[in-house]
Amino acid sequence: MNSKTYKYIIAFSILALLIVTGLLLIRNPAETENIPVNKNQSVIEDYRNSGDRYPGNSSQVIKEAGMVPVYGNWRTFTTKDGLPSDKAYTVRIDGDRVLVGTHDGMAVYENEKWKTYTTKDGLAHNGVVSVDVDELTGDVWIATLGGLNRWSGGKFETFNQLNSGMPNDLVYNVFCYGAHIWVATGGGAGHYDTRTRQWEIFTEMNAPMHEPWTYALSAGDGKVWIAAWGGGVIEYNTETSQFRDYVDPDGFMEIDLQPDDGVIHDITTATAYSDSILWVSTYFGMSRYDGKNWKGYFDHDSGLASNFINFIRAEGKVVFVCCDNGLSSTDGTTWVTYKKDDDSENGKAIITYGTEKKEIPLSPSISHNFIIGVDACGDFLWAATSKGVCRGELIK
Amino acid sequence: MITTSRIRLAHLIIFLLPVFSILSGQEKKTNYGNIPDELVAYDRYQKAYKYHFLEPIKFYGAGREKIPPAGLKEVRIGFLGPLEGSIIVTLGKQMLQGSMLAIEEANKKGGYKGIPFKLMVHNDVGLWGAAANEIVKMDDEGVWAWVGTIDDVNSHVAIRATLKLEIPVINPGDPDPTYTETNIPWVLRNIPDDRQSSYALVKMIYTDKGYKRVAMMRANNRYGRVGTMHFNRSATRIGFPPVIEERFNDLETDFRQQLERIKKINPDAILVWGNAKESGLIVKQIREMGMTQPVFGSDRMVNPEFLETAGKHSEGVVTTCQYNPDADEPKLKAFRANYTKRFGMEPNVFAAHAYDAVNMIIAAIHKVGLNRVLIRDILTDLKTFQGYRGVTGVVIFDGAFNNLRPIYMAKVSNGRFEFSPAPRYEQENVIYKKVNVGY
Repeated sequence: MNSKTYKYIIAFSILALLIVTGLLLIRNPAETENIPVNKNQSVIEDYRNSGDRYPGNSSQVIKEAGMVPVYGNWRTFTTKDGLPSDKAYTVRIDGDRVLVGTHDGMAVYENEKWKTYTTKDGLAHNGVVSVDVDELTGDVWIATLGGLNRWSGGKFETFNQLNSGMPNDLVYNVFCYGAHIWVATGGGAGHYDTRTRQWEIFTEMNAPMHEPWTYALSAGDGKVWIAAWGGGVIEYNTETSQFRDYVDPDGFMEIDLQPDDGVIHDITTATAYSDSILWVSTYFGMSRYDGKNWKGYFDHDSGLASNFINFIRAEGKVVFVCCDNGLSSTDGTTWVTYKKDDDSENGKAIITYGTEKKEIPLSPSISHNFIIGVDACGDFLWAATSKGVCRGELIK
Repeated sequence: MITTSRIRLAHLIIFLLPVFSILSGQEKKTNYGNIPDELVAYDRYQKAYKYHFLEPIKFYGAGREKIPPAGLKEVRIGFLGPLEGSIIVTLGKQMLQGSMLAIEEANKKGGYKGIPFKLMVHNDVGLWGAAANEIVKMDDEGVWAWVGTIDDVNSHVAIRATLKLEIPVINPGDPDPTYTETNIPWVLRNIPDDRQSSYALVKMIYTDKGYKRVAMMRANNRYGRVGTMHFNRSATRIGFPPVIEERFNDLETDFRQQLERIKKINPDAILVWGNAKESGLIVKQIREMGMTQPVFGSDRMVNPEFLETAGKHSEGVVTTCQYNPDADEPKLKAFRANYTKRFGMEPNVFAAHAYDAVNMIIAAIHKVGLNRVLIRDILTDLKTFQGYRGVTGVVIFDGAFNNLRPIYMAKVSNGRFEFSPAPRYEQENVIYKKVNVGY
């Protein structure tokens, strides 16, 4: 190699390096990950400055959302409005009133006013993480950080490890199903028969789970689905008392080999059952099971706000998904995701179908993007967030 | 002239290497969890649809704006460990003492702006679910962060509660690989996990020593099951599934029934995975039964109780160890001296990692103040504490906030453990899909 050739190669290499560096700087990372490119379309760019509640062609966009309702005109409630804490864990609509569990007590919204209940009133602990209503009796069941409460006739009755067959005092989820009150705890799942007043507990000793770490459950059509931390989903048949577990078939924590082969991850966070569909959330994405086929959803291949999902609740064909960075809803095909802007009370609803994505500006929007609980009924959608609770109205 | 050309060619190759490296993406370092290329799950047959833990999980919740309550009399840091009613109380007490020493030293330096640190001590009890109640108590006490625990049946329960209550935790004692694979943004671990131990043992046993038929003798609990998981999977993937897996219960003393079965199949080597006492008895009975195979084991054998129990039969036993207790490091020497002076005993692996964990939390509080979210943010930013040097060595957090620092092998020689760097797989062709997470 002579000196001239050497210099040419050096010069060529520097040039190549500069070109490659430039290309790396300007390329879109999403394209390099084989993520479908969305065709974003903002409905009206200057909507933010307009006085209209919704932009001109939003009705067309909402119509395209099909089965998935779109909510707007969001209203936020915080401690300034009467909540005991801005950190809201759960929300449950109970007829004309709304029950909100917060870090510092349970708040009840009725006739446009908030009333707070704490340990002074009989709550087992001020941290209220889940609430459900017994449709047969009207009793309210309250899962707290320190036990389970039944709120009946204005009185609070406490169930804990010392005075009952409760598996653990930290009750992550309560679910009323028929005459049975189901709870999920880190020490196992269990149900209380309100007729016989007996508890039955399921742990690794009598159910197909390696460990009794259960964190949520749902029920329907004679079955209960328990989200077991590290154990996928445990299905319990209430008629035959038989179990069936659903785990990630690939068996590895660090990957999901195939998205549609089963639960996408064994660290499950919640289940929701409605309209013969089982939805399963994880901190890695979400799964849908129709009794025959599984389908997995991730934030890179669907309208899911993020893969870290705190909770889900299904109503009809739609599941509402509480993500750590937005609130999503879907029927499995169309997605409506609500996100708040960082620097204002405004935000947007993002409607995704296939690879197409459209946005409706919302002013105001949800109270915070970290969603912990959700409930929908009639024309209203309530969300419990890291910074207050919020209520959206159905856009018709 | 020829020599000059060769020198120029060499210069050219050296110059072009980074260019090719950039083009091939190989500047993005190692696979998740230091998984050796040949052990990446399914990789020879199918790429995974989704690879987790490549990017650090963020916390998008509120709370960064919160100011601490006025008039604080103490800055509370939580501790969760096996202190009563557990068979690993001795390990828990060491972990507690390491934490106490860090607190005491910080208070001698003035605490936090003149406010003393206080350790809020909680027993993890050992029963399912009870650890969750202790984390609720910590929240009620107003701790800013916590350290613990050792037994994975308790640590897993505790971190679900810490996620709900949003309290940062550094674990100095639980090597269960799945602990940080729960993807919780509040959870870090500064002790290297059993995934690293398994890869080191697989490399040494099968590749370096050339053994093919390995018998496993493991504790019949979660520690034994999950601890050997990656050894089992890795050995199987390279073509040498363990020829037998025998199990034993905690506090069992006679293992001859299981060992008879192992003896019959005459393995090349035996891997023992359990607590120090049981492991010591197993090694003793292996030799008493006339078996001369080399014995390998888990890091819990690095304990005076193991040496005492196994006696002369411990000679030659090889285990992993998450750090080098005999390293010629001034920080470590000072810690050992101060700890021994304060508590009248040598620190173990749990004491040393707890000391580091508490010191990291204290350092984080000094940097960002009394705010749980901000403490979490700075501990997990993969910058501020990346490369942090404690008495146990360096901290190299991965995207799951798990410490990937190189570990050590410990071999019993003349009645004491001698430490040497663990063998590592060469990572010439990193095949895992990667994202630069700062490590």
